[in-house]
Amino acid sequence: MLFYSFFKTLVGQSVTVELKNDLSVTGTLVSVDQFLNIKLDNIRVENEEDCPHMMSVKNCFIRGSVVRYVRLPVAAVDTALLQDAARRETQQSTTSGRAA
Amino acid sequence: MADTLTATPAPAVPVPSTSVQEPLDLVRLSLDENIYVKLRGDRELRGKLHAFDQHLNMVLGDVEENVTTVELNAESQEEVVRTTTRKIDMLFVRGDGVILVSPPARAV
Amino acid sequence: MSSFIPNQIFTTSGSLIDLLDKRLLVMLRDGRKIIGYLRSYDQYANLVLQDSIERIYVKDVYGDLDRGVFLVRGENVVLLGEIDNNKDDDLPLNQVSFAEALRIRDQEAEERQKQERVKNQLLHNQGFSVDFIETDLY
Repeated sequence: MLFYSFFKTLVGQSVTVELKNDLSVTGTLVSVDQFLNIKLDNIRVENEEDCPHMMSVKNCFIRGSVVRYVRLPVAAVDTALLQDAARRETQQSTTSGRAA
Repeated sequence: MADTLTATPAPAVPVPSTSVQEPLDLVRLSLDENIYVKLRGDRELRGKLHAFDQHLNMVLGDVEENVTTVELNAESQEEVVRTTTRKIDMLFVRGDGVILVSPPARAV
Repeated sequence: MSSFIPNQIFTTSGSLIDLLDKRLLVMLRDGRKIIGYLRSYDQYANLVLQDSIERIYVKDVYGDLDRGVFLVRGENVVLLGEIDNNKDDDLPLNQVSFAEALRIRDQEAEERQKQERVKNQLLHNQGFSVDFIETDLY
């Protein structure tokens, strides 16, 4: 749930989602769910000439499983907080994993 | 006697955070360090690890991405191997594309 | 709705609800593009599309084929986009018959495949993993 919570803090920010089929979509992050499906508004496609089908699309829902990268605005990320959260999350998952 | 056959029980006290008990501990120890990540699709990343989870989803900072491509010269039918590099300030990487993670190189 | 369940938009169903009954472009994992009205969905992003057409885009032309009702299994969905009807009416693309669009696309694909084979072998020799099938990309 670490990255789900993380992406929720980024709602409203402009991000670029790079898909595994090399399509790059930039837009305002509207929502994210537990599968890291992503919804973007006011989208712009980076390589527009390669994807004529995206010309008439204004907002989109991207299935989490097809995402390769999400490029994030550096100012919106608190790296110290993120590292702490990651340490805590892994500690938690290993101890609960052993108990199970 | 039976004791010797059973697996070592989980320690009652939490394991020190510097020990490597399972593969992902190695990644945990690389937090805030520069790591190398090899990905599917002939891609390689170098950057500072800020976060990861059990799927190896990651957030990296100051990333340099290398993509290796092969281009065919139409006339000579010769293949040219090319590496394209780009810089990304802050990047979320989805874990399903990760092939391997390598911790920072130690000073030799 | 969102007033009494504030976290509703952070679920799959919450984020798809405002796309219901809208005309959507659905990109599938095999590269196909379906355009239709979203009538139903669930948490896996399984979709029911009505009055759908399959559209082939190639270079600056496109071709349509009526497909009727589709139930798409979620794992095959890459992206859903809401179509802006204003923009869709004046696309800078020419419509051709579906058969013609198909022919142009297959011609291009064949050309590309020939080159890919050589490239993949070379990358493989350098220790990179090679994706042989388009759906393997995901």
